[in-house]
Amino acid sequence: MTDRSGIPRTPRFALSRLVPLFQRDPMVAADPVTDKALIAVIAIMTFLAAMTAGAAQFTASTTSRWQVLMASEVTVQLKPQGSRPIETDIVRATDILRGTTGVSSVKVFSREESSKLLEPWLGSASAIESLPIPRLIAVRIDADQPPDMAALGKAVADSVPGASLDDHRNWTRRLSRISDLFLLVSLSALVLVLTATGLAIVFATRGAMAGNREIIEVLHFIGADDRYIATQFQRHFAVLGIRGGLIGGGAALILLLALRIAGSSSVGLLDANGLSGLALPGSEMMAATVLVIVLVGLVAGMASRITVYRTIGRLA
Amino acid sequence: MTLKKVESSLPTFAHRPLGELVRFENVGLRYGVGAETLTDVSFAIEPQSFQFLTGASGTGKTTLLRLIMQALKPTRGMIALFGQDTSQLDKEGLTSLRRRMGIVFQDFRLLDHLTTYENVALPLKVQGREEATYRAEVSELLNWVGLGDLMHVTPAVLSGGEKQRASIARALVAQPELLLADEPTGNVDPSLARRLLRLFVEMNRSGTAILIATHDLSLMDQIDGARRLVLADRRLHIESGHD
Repeated sequence: MTDRSGIPRTPRFALSRLVPLFQRDPMVAADPVTDKALIAVIAIMTFLAAMTAGAAQFTASTTSRWQVLMASEVTVQLKPQGSRPIETDIVRATDILRGTTGVSSVKVFSREESSKLLEPWLGSASAIESLPIPRLIAVRIDADQPPDMAALGKAVADSVPGASLDDHRNWTRRLSRISDLFLLVSLSALVLVLTATGLAIVFATRGAMAGNREIIEVLHFIGADDRYIATQFQRHFAVLGIRGGLIGGGAALILLLALRIAGSSSVGLLDANGLSGLALPGSEMMAATVLVIVLVGLVAGMASRITVYRTIGRLA
Repeated sequence: MTLKKVESSLPTFAHRPLGELVRFENVGLRYGVGAETLTDVSFAIEPQSFQFLTGASGTGKTTLLRLIMQALKPTRGMIALFGQDTSQLDKEGLTSLRRRMGIVFQDFRLLDHLTTYENVALPLKVQGREEATYRAEVSELLNWVGLGDLMHVTPAVLSGGEKQRASIARALVAQPELLLADEPTGNVDPSLARRLLRLFVEMNRSGTAILIATHDLSLMDQIDGARRLVLADRRLHIESGHD
């Protein structure tokens, strides 16, 4: 199909009017092999970057959940004190705890339950029957009006010899440190992946410009200014970057969705294995992946723009 | 029939500058540390004039054209284009001057991945004009140079003569004030050479100054009264119109 002057009007041409990504960039003599290789590299980089961002988001969410879980519960430990009857001490400690404002519930672990907790380290319950096993009281805290932990710990310790209150502060602090470290490593990896993507674009742009040197010279002679030529190359590589980003980011999104579906159906299994509180891929991780795609597009555009202007200066 | 009698079918330009389009004063050029390739070259090109640049192979015809199109900088001397000293030009100024020139390269320099239409329309496209404003214009020009049926093919399927005509059409499409052509008939048979020369004459009649670099004496003899700029021994000698 042609128009009045014989210019073809194909469906692709019509689409190019509506969607910029489908527009031809006729000034740049594209090398299909190089372009496809570059798209593949960018897609892989985007996928890795999205996975890194997703892992960081997963760590942050899970850590945050675990910290909330740990902060909502404290443990009172009662060590056996010679011939002193421990059951009496348990009752005394329980009374103090139940009488404290901000304590939602108190659960005493029986000797069997306490033994079972130690089973992975000390063997079967029968083997540790003769050992002086400490008894545990799990105390759930009202998050809205938590009690003064220091005062509560002192009250329990003063009333019950050998009793101590563990508010998990050390664990929470360590978890927070590990989480921060992991986030830092993830962020560094993300920066490295984006840098590698930028460098791939830089080398591809320089290669393309060297290959198009004669075209650039002709364009200069027929009156094209640097900005016009730069725009042609920049658009070409930005489009490649966005295409690669969409492919890699799309794959990452599909994987995250699959993990979400698999995770949702395995919540019971995870809880049974002591992995409660794991953050499933949610809207935050999806948003992080989309952000990575946008970042890759921006990096591709900026890297090609800077390279084009520098190279044009040399060619001119 | 002399080519003087050819009737122009192109519109004449409404406005033409009165000053010189090109002025060289004692221009010298050397590559590296060797002897000068061109020495003390001085001449001027007037608006709407027609001249040949000639000389034996290797005397510097292409070099002189490259100096005019600002692909080379002179080692010494002064070059002014359209009244502007080129040593003072910035990039924008250079682009602006190049838009007033049309260039026909000896090796055509068509972009192989573009169609004939796209190649010819290129000077208008790079000026930022919308395709709708020049589509008919370009089609008309392609018909005029006999390439109307080859509008949508790439240069790979064009013959040497067709490429040359496409190259000339590209140089003319923006209606330049000065046309530089480097051996434009070097790759074609005598019959086609005459037809191409006729294109230049018609363009000149419509107001464009023409400078054709050639070593083909028979070609030059076809244009009565054309000035000849002759390069020999690194210097330029001017021979006014031949009858």
